[in-house]
Amino acid sequence: MADLREQTQHPRYKEFLFSAKRFLKNPLTIIGLVIILGFAVVAIMAPMLAPPENPEQPFKIPHTGWRSEPSPPSKVHPLGTLPQQYDILYGIIWGTRSAFRIGFLVVLANMLIGIILGAIAGYFGGVIDEIIMRITDMFYAIPYLVMAMALVIAIGRGLKSIIIVLTILGWPTYTRILRSEILVVREKDFIQAARASGASHLRIIFQHVLTNTIYSVLIVASMNIGITVLYAAALSFLGLGADTGYADWGQMVSTCRNYIVGPADNRLAYWYVVFTPGFVLALFVLGWNLLGDAARDVFDPKLRRR
Amino acid sequence: MILVLFGVSLMIFGIMMLFPPGMRVAIFVQTDKIKPGQIDALIARYGLDDPAPVQYVRWIKSVFQGDFGYSITAQAPVIEGFKRFFPITLELVLFATPLIILVGIRLGTLGAVHKDKPIDHGTRVFAIIGYSLPTFWLGLLLLMIFYGYFGIFPPGYLSIKGKDILFSPEFKRYTRLITIDAILNWRWYLFWDALYHLILPTINLVMLQSALILRLTRSSMLESLGQDYIRTALAKGADRRTVNKHARRNALLPVVTIAGIIFASLLAGMVITETIFNRQGIGLWMARAAILLDVPAIMFNVLFLGVVFAIANLIVDILYAYIDPRIHLA
Amino acid sequence: MQTLVKSEELYTNFYTFEGVVKALNGVSVVVNQGETYGLVGESGCGKSVTVRSMMRIVQEPGKIVDGKILLFFKQEDRSKGINIIERSEAFMQSIRGNDISMIFQEASTSLNPVFTIGEQVGESFLFHRLSQMLKETVGELDEEIQRNRFFLVQGWKLLQRALFRAEFKNLEAYQDKVQSLDNRLSELEEKTDNRSITEKILLQRRRERLRKKKTWIEILKRIPFLRRYYRRLKKTIRKHVVELLKQLGVPSAENMPDRYPHELSGGMQQRIVIAIALACHPYLLIADEPTSNLDVTIQAQIMELIKTLKKTTIASVLFITHDFGLVAEICDRATVMYAGDVCETADVKTIFRHPLHPYTKGLLQSVPKAEQVERLSTIPGIVPNLIDPPSGCRFHPRCPYAMDICPEEKPPTIEHSPEHYVACYLYVDKER
Repeated sequence: MADLREQTQHPRYKEFLFSAKRFLKNPLTIIGLVIILGFAVVAIMAPMLAPPENPEQPFKIPHTGWRSEPSPPSKVHPLGTLPQQYDILYGIIWGTRSAFRIGFLVVLANMLIGIILGAIAGYFGGVIDEIIMRITDMFYAIPYLVMAMALVIAIGRGLKSIIIVLTILGWPTYTRILRSEILVVREKDFIQAARASGASHLRIIFQHVLTNTIYSVLIVASMNIGITVLYAAALSFLGLGADTGYADWGQMVSTCRNYIVGPADNRLAYWYVVFTPGFVLALFVLGWNLLGDAARDVFDPKLRRR
Repeated sequence: MILVLFGVSLMIFGIMMLFPPGMRVAIFVQTDKIKPGQIDALIARYGLDDPAPVQYVRWIKSVFQGDFGYSITAQAPVIEGFKRFFPITLELVLFATPLIILVGIRLGTLGAVHKDKPIDHGTRVFAIIGYSLPTFWLGLLLLMIFYGYFGIFPPGYLSIKGKDILFSPEFKRYTRLITIDAILNWRWYLFWDALYHLILPTINLVMLQSALILRLTRSSMLESLGQDYIRTALAKGADRRTVNKHARRNALLPVVTIAGIIFASLLAGMVITETIFNRQGIGLWMARAAILLDVPAIMFNVLFLGVVFAIANLIVDILYAYIDPRIHLA
Repeated sequence: MQTLVKSEELYTNFYTFEGVVKALNGVSVVVNQGETYGLVGESGCGKSVTVRSMMRIVQEPGKIVDGKILLFFKQEDRSKGINIIERSEAFMQSIRGNDISMIFQEASTSLNPVFTIGEQVGESFLFHRLSQMLKETVGELDEEIQRNRFFLVQGWKLLQRALFRAEFKNLEAYQDKVQSLDNRLSELEEKTDNRSITEKILLQRRRERLRKKKTWIEILKRIPFLRRYYRRLKKTIRKHVVELLKQLGVPSAENMPDRYPHELSGGMQQRIVIAIALACHPYLLIADEPTSNLDVTIQAQIMELIKTLKKTTIASVLFITHDFGLVAEICDRATVMYAGDVCETADVKTIFRHPLHPYTKGLLQSVPKAEQVERLSTIPGIVPNLIDPPSGCRFHPRCPYAMDICPEEKPPTIEHSPEHYVACYLYVDKER
């Protein structure tokens, strides 16, 4: 009787189950999933976990006092404070929202641009392909961080600028991937068959090509969320991001540059200032990387069958 | 490749044009002492109001002449600043790159050969963590632990005594790389001092960057081990070591070529590392320039790194064609 | 008729995500010396798995779960076989490529693209004829030292000679130890009392862990710049390689060792693969569908080559194919397999003229013949899924003569006429 049930399951469903099972088999995947879900919960519940002073500007970290030296963890400030007494815990909670926002916005935009350009280049080939690929090559030839810095400086500092700049610089990866996948799929017989039975270009792209090639893009996207947030944090660290007091992890680390090493008798006096925001950032990125890695292990057709 | 360089220069120029003319003056003058009233005159003089293509040509010409303007961060013409800062960056990159590659390859092959065993999982975890850590965080953490707690491996690129030796008149600069020059001058203290200051940033870089090579080696090895020629080797009666040899040589093809890319991206990524470890290289220069809006310095660095990247890519392509017997250079 | 290799009731399973694939269902195959033995059957019937099991190079996730594999040429007394099922991997490595060789279907992918032909063919010599090569090199060096008295040149040669001599001694010591262990294990082969079994297990472990003593010479061999001296040995090996290639009719054999596989044509690549297999004069050559991917003219060339080699170099061949034409052309005896079962075994003429097993009959009927005008006949049904194979005789769902007993239990193998074996209940009754 098990045979019968197996045979009546739609093959796509079966594949999905297969993927899901494999996905969850890996302990690292589960860790990644737990981490990201944890962050998501914190982000959603931010208003409840850390009520903002001013509901209009939730991202401004409240600060008690103006002393520039950071304060260690205490009852008032469970994780301590940054220079100028900004509460670290508040910053971390609302920083989660910042992180998700930056990550999703940038990666989504990158994906859209990249997929569209990649699909056009790969499917139509010829001159269009050449042009798009040359442009992509150009982008690959530039050093990412340095260019991002220059651009952010040019258009003005701030998180919005960072988002814009990272969007501009990030799409070539997706274009390349999609294009190469399309080149492979394009020659496959079932595409020829679809053409022969009269399907239009658009229909072919959407129905056949994209469904086969989307996996690699998704894999890369999930890993890129982490990397994007890292770069955004790096730019903030260099002072190109939000202003002091804004709830963004990178920004928080940036304010502490003068307080890495404490006074001679207690070098580790300000450990909480460096450690906590960075740790949270690392955890966030780790979660996404684990997910992306696991996704790759599951979806990569070469490694699929046991 | 020329086309790519052209495109890159266009992009850089485009960024430059985003700055108001007042700031772009610095590219053309050689000092930093400009009175407010002079700016308008200078703008007119250097044609910073002219149409874009004209300015572009002018800029390219000046680039080829080696004139990049004055950097307020360096308190010197950009070229001088570059000559001063670059060797320090180069030293670290030259030091770290081979280590990164060796560590990555070693761990990657270990993981592939013992797939799904504890050591495989161990190296993969190491790789993922290394990949996920923010550059600045690990660096700061290392500093906190080693320097803050243990008191060893201070930031900076030389101690005070070392700098005395370096800048003394008898010291001859052959290569401008401190470690090598130290040996050539037979000044061992300087050599160890420089090395001492290189260790912590190198650890930082290796932990973060070897992940990429590790992953690449691992997947490349896995693919290689699944090929038919491994089957043949087994049928010949090869032992484990020989089988790995067969797989490795195929697997390392793509990896070895990445070495060039690693080198280039390290150079670019130095911004953060040097900021943290307070090494006076082009990275720190760039970081300061970013805050002070020192346009010439920024532009120069971006241009320089762009060129380095393009050359690295080219070398990688050539290298790949060279070492793979299946490909013959067209 | 001297038996070379025999498998008895071999069961091999593959443990995959979808389930356990029971690839071999008690396969027994006997290969005798001097004959070309054919293993015929459809794709997926277990022919490759059988020979890979016999050489114990079954790929992951497969495992041999039961049965015996006996080799008859390792003993003084050729009638006694030794079971290699439990033997150490080190032992198997000494057999593979040396006593039994195997060539595969796709020659182009069987060769490593980044090593030269010389390196790959030479490896066979390096693995299995190392002491002979070392001895030759030392001998040559002796001569050269006598002839040329120029100090610097002589110094280098003296050094090389000393190094090779050291390696030779080390190798001999190792081989002696191995030999004595293997002898003892063969002696214990048939003893099944507890004491012998314990000793066998202990010796096996020792054999497995036996490595060439890690003396300085072994380490020296591996250091990148210092191992230049090894080139001398490689030169000697190269000579043998060229000779071997000449014997196989490879044109411009002198230059061939420097070439890379991708520079050669498909037929030439297959020749090189054959050269690698025959380098050490194995007792048995196993050819796993060596011509299936080549076009007909090349196929004919390779078949000619194998036929020639059969007369000169290698007397016994195990030929796997799904092409009955090739079987008729080159094989003396053949076994027909279906879905992991052995159906019928006989000499080729008998198989063609008097097939007994319904599957064999069906196969032969479906081969188009020149005079045929009617529709081609087929065997109804499809090849079964081996995760859940049919019970008893695996062919029974498609067999036109199926009886009640067929799904019950696997039919025994009966010797219907001399040297003609069949596993079918149709012929069991006749026996009784």
